[in-house]
Order: sequence, then C-alpha cells, then structure tokens
Amino acid sequence: MKTKSPFIKIDKISMWYPQKSKNLFMSIREERKWIKAVDQVSIELERGEILGVIGESGCGKSTLGKVLARLENPTNGDVYIDSVSTKELMKKDTKKFRRMVQIVFQNPFDTFTPRDTIEQILLRPLKIHGIGKTNAERREICIKALESGGLRPADEIMKRYSHELSGGQLQRISILRSMLFEPKFIIADEPVSMLDVSVRSEIINMLLTLSKEKNATVIFISHDIALTRYVSDKIAVMYLGKVVEYGDSDTIINNPKHPYTQALISNCSSIDPDEQREIIKIQGEPPTPVNPGPGCYFASRCFKASKECFQKYPAATEVSEGHIVACDRWY
Amino acid sequence: MNQLLEIKDFSVTYVNKSKKVYAVKNVNLKINKGDSLGIVGESGSGKSTLAMALLRLLPEKNTQITGKANFIGKDLVQLNQKELKNIRWNELAVVFQKSMNALSPVHRIGPQIEDIYRVHKPNASKEEIFSRITYLLRLVNLSERVYTLYPHELSGGMLQRVSIAISLVHNPKLLIMDEATTALDVVTQGQILDEIVKMEQTLDVTRIMITHDISVVAASCNKIAVMYAGEFMEIGYVKDVLKNPKHPYTRGLLSSFPSLKGEKLKLTGISGYLPNLSVKQEGCIFAPRCQQATEKCKQEKPLGVEMNENTVWCHLYSSGGELINEDQKPVYKD
Ligand SMILES: Nc1ncnc2c1ncn2[C@@H]1O[C@H](COP(=O)(O)OP(=O)(O)OP(=O)(O)O)[C@@H](O)[C@H]1O
Ligand SMILES: Nc1ncnc2c1ncn2[C@@H]1O[C@H](COP(=O)(O)OP(=O)(O)OP(=O)(O)O)[C@@H](O)[C@H]1O
Ligand code: SF4
Ligand code: SF4
Ligand SMILES: [Mg+2]
Ligand SMILES: [Mg+2]
Repeated sequence: MKTKSPFIKIDKISMWYPQKSKNLFMSIREERKWIKAVDQVSIELERGEILGVIGESGCGKSTLGKVLARLENPTNGDVYIDSVSTKELMKKDTKKFRRMVQIVFQNPFDTFTPRDTIEQILLRPLKIHGIGKTNAERREICIKALESGGLRPADEIMKRYSHELSGGQLQRISILRSMLFEPKFIIADEPVSMLDVSVRSEIINMLLTLSKEKNATVIFISHDIALTRYVSDKIAVMYLGKVVEYGDSDTIINNPKHPYTQALISNCSSIDPDEQREIIKIQGEPPTPVNPGPGCYFASRCFKASKECFQKYPAATEVSEGHIVACDRWY
Repeated sequence: MNQLLEIKDFSVTYVNKSKKVYAVKNVNLKINKGDSLGIVGESGSGKSTLAMALLRLLPEKNTQITGKANFIGKDLVQLNQKELKNIRWNELAVVFQKSMNALSPVHRIGPQIEDIYRVHKPNASKEEIFSRITYLLRLVNLSERVYTLYPHELSGGMLQRVSIAISLVHNPKLLIMDEATTALDVVTQGQILDEIVKMEQTLDVTRIMITHDISVVAASCNKIAVMYAGEFMEIGYVKDVLKNPKHPYTRGLLSSFPSLKGEKLKLTGISGYLPNLSVKQEGCIFAPRCQQATEKCKQEKPLGVEMNENTVWCHLYSSGGELINEDQKPVYKD
C-alpha cells in the first residue's frame, strides 16, 4: 500500500448522458436510458507520469479527457490534484484551474481562430493569466517558446495566420502554448493522429521533453497502440466507459491479461513483415454504451466468456503489483 | 512471369489557371499477377493521383496524363470512355476511404449491389446474383442478413466490408484500395486486412494498396513502393524493404514508426517539408531534406538502381547496387 497520497487521484468518475428518446410520450413511461460514456473510472498518477489511454472508437476516451479537464462536469465522482478536489478548485478559482490543467485536441485547425495571427492567439491568454508584465515581455516569452520548439524564425511565424501554417506546425504551437502556463496536468487527446507520420515524432518528442522538464503529469489518449506504448509509463485500456486493464505500459503490451486487451493488441499490425500475427477474433460489432450490463460489458464478444460472465460485472483484481484486471477469468 | 500492369514514364500534371502541379513525375512500375503492392508516402506525395489517373477518374479538363500504362494488353492512358466503361468493375475496381458513404441511404444493401451487378450483366438471373452477392458477403465476414438492411443500420466497419464486396462483384483482375481501412479502428482494420488477404487467394485478384500506414502494408502486401513528391524512391519486396531499407527517405519514414515489440527506441522523423510541386526541381527531389545529400544529388536526378528485383533511386548506390562509399551508409539521427 502506498502511504503518500498520489499527485492526481481520479476517484470513481462517471459521465452519463441521458439518451434522447424519439417519442416524447414514451419517454415518460419508459425507463430513462443512459449513455454511460465514462463509468466509475479510478486511477492514480504521480508527478511527471504519463498515462496512455487506449480502446476502440467510442469507448469514452475523449469524454474522460473532457471530464478531467472539467470542460464537462462529471455526473459522479471527482478528481483530486495534490489532495484538493478539482470541483472545489474550479469553484474557488476557475482561472487558476484552467491554467493548471491544459488540454490539447486532435485537430489543430479547430484550436485556433482563423481571424487572428499567431501572435494575437499566443499573447491573449498570457495577458489574461497575468504572465509577463508588459506586452514586450510576453512577446519575448512566446518567441523563446516557439524557438525551443523548432519554429524558426519565430518573429516571422508570429505574424502569420493559422491557415498559413501546416498542421504539424500548428499542433506544435498548440502544445507549446499549453506549456506556457506551466501546467501540472496535461491531457493530450489524439494530438498527432491528424498529422503525417514524418512530423509526428517531432511533436511526440517535444511533448515528452516538455513534460519531463516541467515534471507535468500527462494523459495521452490515442488509438495507436504502438505509439502509446512508446509515449507512456502506464496504460489504461477502456471498454464501454470502463477501465478493464491498467498497469505498466510494457506489462500491458507484452503480458496483457484481460481478453479484450489481448484481442486489441493481437489485431495491431506492426511494421515488421516477418512477425507472425496470431489474431484473436472479436465477434460482432462494439455495442453502444446504452445501459450496458448487468454482466461483464465485453461478455457478448469475449472468447473466454462463461455463463457467470453475463450475470455480474467482474471485480478488479490486482494480478501482480500495479497490474489491475477487471475480468473473473484472467488466469 | 505473368505481368498484369506496367507503368512507363507515367506523369500526371494538374493544370489550373495560374499554375501547374506536377503531382506524378515519370514513374515506372511493374505489377505481376498475384502481387499485392502497397504504395506509401506522406500526405501530398501523389499516391491518390497515381491511382486516380490509372483508373482515369480525374477530370480530363484540367489534368494531363502522359506515358504508358499497359494493363493486360491495353494502354489505360489511350482508352476512350466506352472502353473504360467496359473495364471498370469488370477488370479494374477501386475502393476508397469514403466508399462506404457512396451507398444510397434509402435503399437496402442487397438491391444496390444487384444494380451494380446488372451494369455489366444485364441478363443475369435473380438466383445467380443472389448467390454471388451472398458468397462475397461471406468472404468479407458479413452475414446474409446484411442483404436486407439499410446502410444506417451498419457500422463503419461493416459498411466498408460491403464496399469491398461490391468492388469484387465482377471478379476484377486488379483491385485498387485507397486508404480503404484508414478510418476504421484497430480491431476492425486488423480483421478486414486478414479477410482481404484470404479472399485474394480465393479469387485470384491482384491488389494495389494505397496508405500512409506502413503497418497496413506489412500486414497485407508482398511488395512496397515508397513515393515522395511524385516520384518513387524505392520499390521492392516488403520483406527486404522494411527489414533493410536502402533509400534515406524510406529509413526516415520507418524510423517515424514506433514498434509494438522490442526495445523502445527514440523516435526520429524527417525534418522539413514536401517541396513545392509547381516548380520542377533539378537533382534528387529528396535532397533538401536528405542528411546525406552531396553536390551531385543537387544537380543530377538519380537513376533507378536494381538489386535482386528491388529498385532504389539514390546516388549512394552504384549501378551494381553496392554502396559507393561505406561511410555513406544511410543512417538516421536527429
Ligand atoms: N454529449 C454527448 N451526448 C451523448 N452521448 C455522447 C456525448 N459525447 C459522447 N457521447 C457518447 O459517448 C461515447 C464515448 O464517446 P467518446 O467520444 O468519449 O469516445 P472515444 O473513445 O473518444 O472515441 P474515438 O476513438 O472515436 O474518438 C460514445 O458512444 C458517444 O456517442
Ligand atoms: N485538383 C488538383 N489541382 C491541383 N493540385 C492538386 C489537385 N489534386 C491534388 N493536387 C495536388 O497534388 C499533390 C498530390 O496529391 P495526392 O492527393 O495525390 O496526394 P496523396 O499522396 O494521395 O496524399 P494523401 O496521403 O494526403 O491522400 C498534392 O500536392 C496536392 O495538393
Ligand atoms: S469477465 Fe468473462 S466475459 Fe468478461 S472479459 Fe473476463 S472472461 Fe470475458
Ligand atoms: S540521391 Fe542524394 S539526396 Fe537523394 S536520397 Fe540519395 S543521398 Fe539523399
Ligand atoms: Mg475521441
Ligand atoms: Mg490520397
């Protein structure tokens, strides 16, 4: 057992959306249906640690990210940073919270307004948050940041509009901008999936270096499992709003215990043509997270499922130190 | 050897009012029957342009296609519209990333495929069509049930499987897939790639697979062509090129991919950007980004050097395929 309390504690967080009923009258009599996008997720993270979140499309990765950044208020549960509830933090000082927790989105073109120059886009939030005393000082901070990210000549780039830069350049600016606030917690939701492979690595390496330098905790959301393994210390595998497996990233990749993780990893192609792939088939299409259960959510597609699996949701078991699996038949 | 397609000195230029874009430049390529060739390269390198030009799907008004594309005795560049119509679906079929959106939302899947079937076989009987379509649906791991469903009742993965089944209705000799699995998640993509490889053996089709994801090529192709700024850099067997890449660009591209197994190596990329395709550049097209570029590279375009059925366009290699200077072994460092 850990005695020290963790830096970031995600405590049974849930995000349920009511499903809109097609028929107004029906909705009164019918049982309310919920889309359980994120359901009772608990994870603890240390300072400077990088957690990768993987899973099929629609499993709730982005929703988890949004809730952690409190862009949406969770239906249930809370997140603690240094033992302080983020709900309280938001209430007391929203500005401070927004500064402390940064989120980087998938599409860099949506992040920046097309009407402003990069300079305006970078300077405005610095001013709002009171970073730098004068505009000249703030400009200096931005120029330094851009140059450190390999965006040169920085003062020329500052004059451009977002459409005058490539997707890779914009995404680098968006990461650099979030680092200007010296956040303690960064959520990167598929930060490179829209970008070309050749520019990906620069951005990933930049994110890694920055988080190491500033000792910031990062949640890296991605459907690219090889990339997640490369980036993260820990990996959480999500299925229909729940974390089904969690552990050191190498353990999860090399020794997955949950049938879903095993199937997910077996379906990843590698760039080694000699590798013999033993694909574990997952039957059927992913179900939607509308009132799932009562049993294991994966049961209808699981190659190991037994009758019991359909009856109660499996308990989380620590199968080895720090390796947690939510499956009753993991052995 | 049984050659299916031979592209010679093939160029595609987009001609707009103000400028020309040289999207594909003097490329040469041979594909044998039974091959599965992956064409990879970063965004904007001309992969789709090459495929669309071969299929003659580019608007003639503002594109120029020159060179030869010999497809089982016919030159695709010279065919007229009627001849093209005859070979599309029949001998040459295509699946795009967006193919799944091409299905009509108001009709059931089955009748839509029937219509496509009748384009080339107007007199086919209902039973013949039904048995062909259900056979193809099974090949791509879909149940017969799909026949009576509407597109909105299927997931993205199922719809893309339907598109693949449709492309196969007339047993084409060559199937071109342009980012056909890109929008799907890993599980679905992995399964579809597996199905494609199996189905190919059953139906004896040759495939060109266009993608920016090299792992897709590793999992499903026997040959690979690496394209950069409208030209091929390296072509060869997947097992050779991915294991032992010769061209500096191929090396850079491979080192941008993290691997799932083994050690975590530092990810390196290729710094710089694609050149402006509106200006014709002297010398090797990759020279501005190549760490091994010499004066010669900037002046002379490298010719293809062949070594055991693999070809590489780079001055680092002599005409015998040897490294000219051992110190010049292509490396990738930051
Ligand atoms: N505002 C909302 N209202 C209702 N349902 C929602 C809302 N936002 C998300 N959902 C649903 O919640 C589930 C999880 O969505 P989410 O976007 O978090 O998935 P994801 O794991 O990020 O998927 P992807 O890999 O495709 O980005 C989906 O079924 C989605 O349809
Ligand atoms: N209609 C057009 N007019 C002018 N230029 C065009 C046209 N279509 C494409 N191009 C240009 O031709 C080049 C090659 O584009 P193409 O779509 O073939 O690339 P690609 O390799 O398929 O890229 P991606 O991986 O992004 O699909 C690009 O520079 C593109 O901007
Ligand atoms: S609990 Fe049962 S159904 Fe769920 S993953 Fe484990 S074996 Fe499969
Ligand atoms: S020809 Fe020269 S510039 Fe081109 S790839 Fe080879 S070494 Fe680099
Ligand atoms: Mg998402
Ligand atoms: Mg394309």
